[in-house]
Amino acid sequence: MRGADYVIKRTAFAVVTVFVAVTLNFALFRLAPGSAVTDLSRVPHATPELRQALKKQFGLDKSRGAQYVIYLRQLAHGNLGVSFANEQPVSTNLRVALINTLPMVLLGTLFAIIIGTLTGVIAAWRRGTPTEALTVTSALGFYSMPTHWLGLMLIIIFAGTLPTGGMTNEFLINPSFWTHFRDLAAHITLPSLTLGLVLYGEYTLIVRSAMLETLGEDYILTARAKGLKPWTIVRRHALRNAMLPVATLVALSLGYIVAGAILIETVFSWPGIGRAVYDAVLQRDYPMLQGAFLLLTISVVFFNLVADLLYFKLDPRITE
Amino acid sequence: MSSVLIEAPTAPVLTRRGAVLRMLRRNPPALIGSTILLVIAFCAVFAPLIAPYGLHTQVGPVFGRPSWKHPLGLDDGGIDMVTLLMWGARVSLIVGFAATFVSMAIGGTVGVLAGYFGGKVDTILMRITDYFLVIPDVPLMIVVAAIWGPSLFHIVIVIGILLWTGTARVIRAQVKSVRERVYVKRARALGAGHLRIVVRHVLPQVAPLLIANTVLTVAVAIFDETALSFLGLGDPSRTSLGKVIENAFERAAISSGAWWAIVPPGALVALIILGCSLVGGSMEDALNPRLRVAHLSARTFRLRPLVGRENAL
Amino acid sequence: MSVPLLQVEDLHVWFDLQGGGELHAVQGVGFTLERGERLGLVGESGCGKTTTALAIMGLLPPSASAAGRVLLEGVDVLAGGESTIRPHRWVDVAIVFQGAMNALNPVRTVGSQIIEALELHGVARGAAARRRTGELLESVGIPAARAGRFPHELSGGMRQRAAIAMALACNPKVLIADEPTTALDVMVQAQILELLDALCREFGLALVLVTHDLPVVAQLCDRSVVMYAGRVAEQGPVDALYHDPRHPYTRLLFAATPDLDDLDGRVVSIPGAPPRLDRPIDGCPFRPRCDRAFDRCAAEPMLRSLGDGRTAACHLTEVAVT
Repeated sequence: MRGADYVIKRTAFAVVTVFVAVTLNFALFRLAPGSAVTDLSRVPHATPELRQALKKQFGLDKSRGAQYVIYLRQLAHGNLGVSFANEQPVSTNLRVALINTLPMVLLGTLFAIIIGTLTGVIAAWRRGTPTEALTVTSALGFYSMPTHWLGLMLIIIFAGTLPTGGMTNEFLINPSFWTHFRDLAAHITLPSLTLGLVLYGEYTLIVRSAMLETLGEDYILTARAKGLKPWTIVRRHALRNAMLPVATLVALSLGYIVAGAILIETVFSWPGIGRAVYDAVLQRDYPMLQGAFLLLTISVVFFNLVADLLYFKLDPRITE
Repeated sequence: MSSVLIEAPTAPVLTRRGAVLRMLRRNPPALIGSTILLVIAFCAVFAPLIAPYGLHTQVGPVFGRPSWKHPLGLDDGGIDMVTLLMWGARVSLIVGFAATFVSMAIGGTVGVLAGYFGGKVDTILMRITDYFLVIPDVPLMIVVAAIWGPSLFHIVIVIGILLWTGTARVIRAQVKSVRERVYVKRARALGAGHLRIVVRHVLPQVAPLLIANTVLTVAVAIFDETALSFLGLGDPSRTSLGKVIENAFERAAISSGAWWAIVPPGALVALIILGCSLVGGSMEDALNPRLRVAHLSARTFRLRPLVGRENAL
Repeated sequence: MSVPLLQVEDLHVWFDLQGGGELHAVQGVGFTLERGERLGLVGESGCGKTTTALAIMGLLPPSASAAGRVLLEGVDVLAGGESTIRPHRWVDVAIVFQGAMNALNPVRTVGSQIIEALELHGVARGAAARRRTGELLESVGIPAARAGRFPHELSGGMRQRAAIAMALACNPKVLIADEPTTALDVMVQAQILELLDALCREFGLALVLVTHDLPVVAQLCDRSVVMYAGRVAEQGPVDALYHDPRHPYTRLLFAATPDLDDLDGRVVSIPGAPPRLDRPIDGCPFRPRCDRAFDRCAAEPMLRSLGDGRTAACHLTEVAVT
């Protein structure tokens, strides 16, 4: 298989990075001052048995080094401790939160990629015209807006028309599938639109840049020389090459998407990972905070790897 | 690089500060950006002198509506919004610059070391950079603020620690290219020490790019601070623009219909970020000119009437 | 008397400059090309030879404007801009660029790019196109099986041959070769030149060879046009230019090329640099660097016929004649 060693190298790097992230996570939370943070067993309102069990599981009476090893082992089993807030296993809470976040983030990112690519290509194609200036200005404008502020603005604008909080309407009793679906769709609109608008600006600029770069390549001139029509050249030759950076682009913006998700979910009270982080901070729910942070970091590493491999798959030039 | 149009007109490669400033003046986006920033910076710096009302003086009811006396209305404490914005910009800009300074110091150093020495040093430093790159900023900032308490100092340090990677990469690339230049090699051949070469030859070449990168980093730093404040992790004793937004959000400004408590502060942040992006982006473009001519666009080459000054038979 | 295959008359090209102003890259260039003839377009970097070659096919960027006539078998194809010239691309005039990495699209196979040309102009489709592609590759010395390769999988020389094969796909009448050997090493250069020579002879192609490398012109071309500062300095049969140059620039240009047979001869370089083309030039553009300039050179020299199919733009030729 072509470039098997490239795949292996990138995957190995990802694994090492995950390891580093895990260690960082441990260091942050267990080496912090005071035991409020470090003591996983201090679950409020917990029974003594639970406290004891946690103490044993995570070896909280042992040395830091030993705790680290135990931490790793527990991690391998998916045990992240118990949430201070609802006394559920952190991993369960996270799973639920993740399932809530994904559709919203995916929708927003998809929107941003599609609109961003469209406007980026148009801006490059209509170089030097007012269309380009308008497109770029608009992109820069949205790119500069703080995520949460944009969310608040959308709430102000759409307050009457679309739901502005939560994921579902709690007052719907036993809704049919279709009603439930429509309700979800209505609730997901503003949050994912916010994310989409914030991201699309950056994407437009990157696609435009990549497209301009591509349109300056020699093979575009060759294609022109062959007698191809301009739009055919863009479609068949330029687009494919200019889209290679899209994979990288998405990876680069992942950290941003994560940050955006936290802010958006806070503004719209969306019960996802971001909101979980916010709530955990508010409630001093350190096990949750630790678990969420780890999850977020690992997912960024994971999607970076996916982007790397995708780029590799799309560009036949990379053989190393 | 296009190998075909050798004769295509190219923008001169600008490596001197003066030239960069000249380029800025000819460039509309950069001009707009700098104007925006200068106006805002002016208001922020001179806020104590030119703010229309006191920062803690209640001049009307909670969420008072905009009027001639108070063009942007009043906030949840009856304080004039324009005053609040000026003082808020002051704090936000201070945080932004401080954090950027930290990141510039770290990133610049790492970049210079990695680019100049190359080899093992380079590899190790770049590995470390790669690991730092994957850590999502806002979550880390949240964690640090949650564990070690929200204070201006912590925020500045954390933001700085997260943003240096971008600077490091850019500087490293530039240093690498400068290192290969003839006069640097000559200096080495003459026995000049590393420090001397770095200070006298490398840094002047790298400085403009560093400045461009700094401007862009300031934008990110201000955004990060705004985000942190919104999540309740900002420094409670200082009122940054982010805090203004958070206050309004907490006190249900939206349900009260007091849009003026939320829209202006965020718009101001957006303007600052926009200004930085325009200026920093133009500087970067000026320093790394695209030597290529786009072969294709919706427009085509134009025709003119025959000249007739034909010197051919 | 038949119409020449290609006639360029009073060609001007301007490029818009960032920050205002324009660069007058080509300033009234003209020459003719007959069927099967080989013309060398020579000059220093920046003299406008590449731009002239591109203008023949209308391959100018959006920032350019052009004036003049480009007559293909008597028909002015430049008159309507992009729309009149596009139908002639590849079927009448084809071009091969410098053999650098990117003249072929790196993410598509070599074969697919040749097939694209064949299908676009209706020369062949489907299986017939694939067969024809194989034949074309073989004719330039590339095994037909390589059609499925990507450009970066071929060596520089092979890529250049593939580009030549692609250029011949639609049986053009004129082949423009823009610095075809500059990016290649010496051994490969010779092979490519031989290939061009053989192909042009076999298919009766007219050739416009754009280069700054004079020995190449001497080897391949019948006539040569020497350009300086966007204009024609001198034009004529290659032998005549070499042995009896009339323009000081031509003389210095040929003298600047080190001659392996004359190892004791001095290597002459031309001091100074070509003039800027973003402002009007006073008098003869070569004057500042010319070793024979005199008072009349303050006025612009017109291109004059010197007989025997030669022309030159130099006041010295007037003096010599009278």
